[in-house]
Amino acid sequence: MKSRTIGILGGIILALILVSAPVFGMDNKPPATVMIDSLSHLFTGVEFDHNLHVEITEGCSVCHHHRFGNGVVDENCARCHSECQGTFSPTCSDCHVSDPFTGKHIREMEANPNRYHIDIPGLKAAYHLKCLTCHIKEEAPSECVDCHARTDAGNRFYHSGKYAPADGDKNKNHE
Amino acid sequence: MRKISRRGFFKVTAAGSSAVAVSSTKKAFGMKEFHGYPNSMGVLVDLTRCIGCRTCEAACNKEHGLPEPELPFDDFSVFDQVYHDGKEKRRTSDKAFTVVNRYNPKASGGEPVYRKFQCNHCNEPACLTSCFVNAYTKTKEGAVIYNPDVCVGCRMCMVACPFLVPAYTYESALHPQIKKCNFCYDTRLKYGKPPACVEACPQEALTFGHRKTLIKIAHERIRENPKKYVDHVYGETEVGGTSWMYLSGVPFDQLGFNTDLQHHPILDNTKSFLGFVPMVLGIWPALFMGFHLLAKGGKGNDEDKQSNK
Repeated sequence: MKSRTIGILGGIILALILVSAPVFGMDNKPPATVMIDSLSHLFTGVEFDHNLHVEITEGCSVCHHHRFGNGVVDENCARCHSECQGTFSPTCSDCHVSDPFTGKHIREMEANPNRYHIDIPGLKAAYHLKCLTCHIKEEAPSECVDCHARTDAGNRFYHSGKYAPADGDKNKNHE
Repeated sequence: MRKISRRGFFKVTAAGSSAVAVSSTKKAFGMKEFHGYPNSMGVLVDLTRCIGCRTCEAACNKEHGLPEPELPFDDFSVFDQVYHDGKEKRRTSDKAFTVVNRYNPKASGGEPVYRKFQCNHCNEPACLTSCFVNAYTKTKEGAVIYNPDVCVGCRMCMVACPFLVPAYTYESALHPQIKKCNFCYDTRLKYGKPPACVEACPQEALTFGHRKTLIKIAHERIRENPKKYVDHVYGETEVGGTSWMYLSGVPFDQLGFNTDLQHHPILDNTKSFLGFVPMVLGIWPALFMGFHLLAKGGKGNDEDKQSNK
């Protein structure tokens, strides 16, 4: 009986260690820069100055929600996550998938009718919604190319740069 | 002239009133209400997220191989283009199936608000019901698609569309056809993929999913941010519901939306009449021929001849 209790306790302690492992492994130092380029195609990746943003924001949870940092800012998150103390991974792509509109992902979101988070932005939108909303509000640089330069594929896509329409009046309609 | 007897008068009156009684039971003529296909897909356009980058326009242009644009897609001077004495902003055309316009509504204190628009893919499309050669199809995935092979070019759909979306290739002399957004049906939707504009949008101002789920998401966004949104999902009920729906932070009429649209399908306006047509054509001739013969009682012709003499 006693050995069984010890076994259960040991199991719980082991589980706790595993859950908190990411925090222990991080030596509590956030990265100075983060290269955001997993989706880059029309634009180059962004070399994100993490240090700068740590200095100018009020806390980690401004960007990392309840997943990381100290305290929850968003009152909608706080309804359920007010007790969360940053024990999870801070990586955006853990929750924000790179292709949110595949049939598989849509089915996954709808599989459990009681699921609360049915409206999680994809990775690209997570970046832009967080970064750009704040940049516009704080009057920080907010043009596309202020953060990431356009690639050749991007220029072709936007019919810009060397792919710009030659004759402006050629297709003029609706006069 | 033939005199109408008292009995004959009553016969005709009874026949007329019974016909009126039958016509008023219009629900009996197969008029089931249609609320869209159960697994119809849709897109929720959240205008509070749109930043007017025109990436959706560029993606649409590429996906459908549309002609080179007049100006690059990163040229924002197009937002200043107005037509018809400044009353109208840019519209969808045969060269652009989706268009983003900029508004400076009073409600936002002059801050720009951008509005993307394209075919809204109605549950019961007026273009489809107006087309007498069945060139349009509402697919089970939710797209309203068009078949140029049977189109006769009457352009009734352009008149019927409450959103003024279908455009016509007037420049093509030999094979003119209707051009409009098809929800990327041929290239994406039927393979379970989102439309090109949705995939390209950096802000996820466009959310793709089952229409039913999108309505839940839309109302949840309003509930969580009541100050940010107008408490209305445009397209949830407008003209009987559309596959593409909109959320906005300012009243919809300040963004060029038609807010006077009816909240049931446009087809409903003619359904009662159309339900009546088969009955009139099928039953009335036989019925009234019967009354006619009864009234004459088989000797009417002789009477007529005598009275004419």
